[in-house]
Amino acid sequence: MIVPSGYGLRPLAPELVLLTAAAAALFVHLFAGRRGRRAAGYVALAGIGAAGFALALTPPSAGPLFGGHFVADPFALYFKAAILLAGALAIVMAFRFFDVEGGEPGEAYTLVLLAMVGMAAAVSAADVVTTYVSFELFAIPSYVLAGIFKKERRSAEAGIKYFFLGTLSSAIMLLGLALVFGLTGSTAYAEAGPALAGAEGRAVLVAMGLVFAGLFFKAAFVPFHMWAPDVYEGAPTPLVIFLSTAPKAAVVAVLVRAMTSLFGAYAAEWRLVLQVIAVATMLWGNLAALTQKSLKRMMGYSAIAQAGYLAIGLAAWGEAGRTAVLFYIVAYIVMNAAAFGLVLLVDKGGRFDESIDGLRGLARRAPGTAASVLVVLLSLTGIPPTAGFIGKYLLFTAAVEKGMILLAAAGALNSAISLFYYFRIGRAMFLEEAASAVPEAGSQTPESFSRDVTIFLAFCAAVLLSLGLLPTLLTTPAVSAILSR
Amino acid sequence: MNVLGIPILTFITFFPVAGMLVVLALPASSARAIKLAANIFTGLEFAVTLLILTRFDAGSGEMQLVERLPWIKSLGAQYLLGIDGISLLLVLLTSLLTFVATLSSWGAVTGRLKEYYAFMLLLETGMVGVFLALDLLLFYVFWEVVLVPMYFLIGIWGGERRLYAAIKFFLYTLFGSVAMLVGILVLRAGHHSFDWMAMVAAGSVIPAALQGWIFLAFFLGFAIKVPMVPFHTWLPDAHVEAPTAGSVILAGVLLKMGSYGFLRFSLPLLPDAARRYAPAVAVLALVAIIYGALVSLMQKDMKKLIAYSSVSHMGFVMLGLAALTPMAAKGAVLQMINHGLSTGALFLVVGVLYERRHTRLISEFGGLASRMPVYAAVFLIMTMSSIGLPGLNGFIGEFMILMGTFPVSWLWTAVAATGIVLGAGYMLWLYQRVMFGAIVHPANESLKDLTVREFVTFLPLLVLVFWIGIFPKPFLDVIDKPVEKIIRIVNPAHFEAPR
Repeated sequence: MIVPSGYGLRPLAPELVLLTAAAAALFVHLFAGRRGRRAAGYVALAGIGAAGFALALTPPSAGPLFGGHFVADPFALYFKAAILLAGALAIVMAFRFFDVEGGEPGEAYTLVLLAMVGMAAAVSAADVVTTYVSFELFAIPSYVLAGIFKKERRSAEAGIKYFFLGTLSSAIMLLGLALVFGLTGSTAYAEAGPALAGAEGRAVLVAMGLVFAGLFFKAAFVPFHMWAPDVYEGAPTPLVIFLSTAPKAAVVAVLVRAMTSLFGAYAAEWRLVLQVIAVATMLWGNLAALTQKSLKRMMGYSAIAQAGYLAIGLAAWGEAGRTAVLFYIVAYIVMNAAAFGLVLLVDKGGRFDESIDGLRGLARRAPGTAASVLVVLLSLTGIPPTAGFIGKYLLFTAAVEKGMILLAAAGALNSAISLFYYFRIGRAMFLEEAASAVPEAGSQTPESFSRDVTIFLAFCAAVLLSLGLLPTLLTTPAVSAILSR
Repeated sequence: MNVLGIPILTFITFFPVAGMLVVLALPASSARAIKLAANIFTGLEFAVTLLILTRFDAGSGEMQLVERLPWIKSLGAQYLLGIDGISLLLVLLTSLLTFVATLSSWGAVTGRLKEYYAFMLLLETGMVGVFLALDLLLFYVFWEVVLVPMYFLIGIWGGERRLYAAIKFFLYTLFGSVAMLVGILVLRAGHHSFDWMAMVAAGSVIPAALQGWIFLAFFLGFAIKVPMVPFHTWLPDAHVEAPTAGSVILAGVLLKMGSYGFLRFSLPLLPDAARRYAPAVAVLALVAIIYGALVSLMQKDMKKLIAYSSVSHMGFVMLGLAALTPMAAKGAVLQMINHGLSTGALFLVVGVLYERRHTRLISEFGGLASRMPVYAAVFLIMTMSSIGLPGLNGFIGEFMILMGTFPVSWLWTAVAATGIVLGAGYMLWLYQRVMFGAIVHPANESLKDLTVREFVTFLPLLVLVFWIGIFPKPFLDVIDKPVEKIIRIVNPAHFEAPR
């Protein structure tokens, strides 16, 4: 195949910008020394901004590029924007965190950017080889990010655990992709998909099962979620914002693409699987979150449960289902970024003692912050007028329209269950008084983060509220991203 | 009709939010300014809701002053508000009781004033919105908006077990409302619209079996809110722990959201299922009447007694709706108003004593009539109103419900009438133990009678109690057509049968 004339490298511009920024951040960090530990972050943030700019200028194209390896359709561009958003939110939170906690921020910023290159490539991948390579490209930096505080036992454990299980899942996925090649003799989705439709059914199902197992692992769907709570708890909080959101966006995009292009003929099978996965993920995530004492671990399980709602949209499929997924993924990124940002409020330097009690009496100390957190909690629970409600509403509607009323009912029931633990936070903030006004000697007081976190949470709350009141802001691009495929 | 260039229904829905913003902008130290601002806003809100009467056509059963704007096009949701006689009375009740509640909070609430009044005003927007929204998604949004401020009102300014009561209230109602949400989605899948008026015009396009499931989902949401036995257990906790103003709003308005939803949505949108399940609803309502009354008899805490009496009274309302006759349904709507007035007032009555003695145990009182004569008179009138003494409002509503239910089943009527007897029992016994006899506790010797502010708080309620009791025609005229319209949809057989 020939690259269409006039395109050149332009469709790759966002990835190239991110790659350049990653290299620049590393150099800046190397030469800025200890004084400029934020410098690399500013470079990274500027890089994300530039990538966003490049993304806006990238012309959407329907057909495959670069010999069928790559597509830059509106669907891919939408997800790239979502991934850039997740990365930016994480880096903004990381500034203050690394100032206080030490560590090597330059490496973290570089790795975040590198992982984003991989994700951006993954959502554009139209070929099994590109898919696998870009998956590894974002997986490996993710393992390092989880374990970046290598002297911290929990962080190191998170990194190792993530690495071993992640590699295993990658291998499983690779086997599935190899089967696809073996069955069809082609690596491009465009050719392999139609060939799979005519191939021997059971072999295809095995291939599909293996590929999906790898994807579900990365998305932390139950029962492939075992690594997630430990990683989310052990990794540095701002990086958890990244690790718990951006990979899921990438995986969902790849899933949607694989479902349409590769396994489109087997919709009945994967829709059934996804229904089961959706219910299991929501229920397990919520029930496990109910029992947690640590705020961070609770939010980790909450992130798992929230991803379960995405599976409802994937199971419902159709135009409505996919639109709902696209809407919800953005709401998910903002909500979870805020949820883990909230953890920084109780972070007391002893990095892993994040009990909810630290939030007690917050409404008195910082009413503005408490109000923002309230909006975030309402959105996580799915109570109007927030983006979380509209997202869940769209997902449930899509399910009901496909006759999956029980699936929608299970989702709705889960929102009610999740209220119980989300409002343990609301209760601590508004209804309980702080245990003692005097902070423990020698510890970082929560106030050390408060200014950055306050602004961050206010931003997230504003986004969630405006998307809740005017969902058209996001549904319009989501619908056009779906329809263009 | 516009107020300040804004269509009136939108204005009354969001005016309290403007008040909330003003209250939030005031400095926390100026307690007086905060109280004053909140009272002015709720007072003005009541005045503006009265303005609707000037343009309202009482002879029409249709939705009036309709405002329609596209809201979320891709979802087919609209910003659709409208008012008919049923909504009108409930909106007036809401604005009046909210005004009364903020007025009564002047001396009763001392801590975190700014948040208190902000939540109160937000609550009012939610309640008014619920009664005006004609788009089901919009209705759901307002329905949920009510939950959050009420949670905080109970949780922050409540009594000892407030944390437990607040989350119980929130969990119960959210559980019911998510069930309702699924029902709304299924309903939308059948009608391809959220528009109440369009759905009513379309008639029953949904197969009867599916209607049954939607009805049950809606019923779960509404029955928890009303609350009907066996979903009532959140109510005594929430009532006992809530601050006085919170109880007034909770009993006066929030419970009506359940019965209103049942009348507005369950009956006309799911007529086949409503006909099928009405007897079951009626039996649950009867259980609530008797059970609520019996449990009331046993209470030692005044507030808890009145809370359980609400279960019994709301049972009457639900019985009236489930009878599916115009007479009973009109009685039920009127009884919603009556219950809001009398129970709201009774919670204020208890609140007056609680402010003075910081206890609500019946055994702590006795012989108060000699020390607080004005208070005794107000308490007595409200007790009689609650019992249903002829000449006061409760009688009209209960009588109409019984009269409308009798042609359907004499047995239901008989059981319900027993409930009235029990009601007289627990209310009169309460009054006797608190007001008559000798003063046992020395602390009661020096109790002050009602202050002028407190009396002014009661005054509108007293006037309405007598007005509805003696001359209910204006109120019945307003609800006559809209109620008949709904009953005609759900139970056409009633109008065909020879009388």
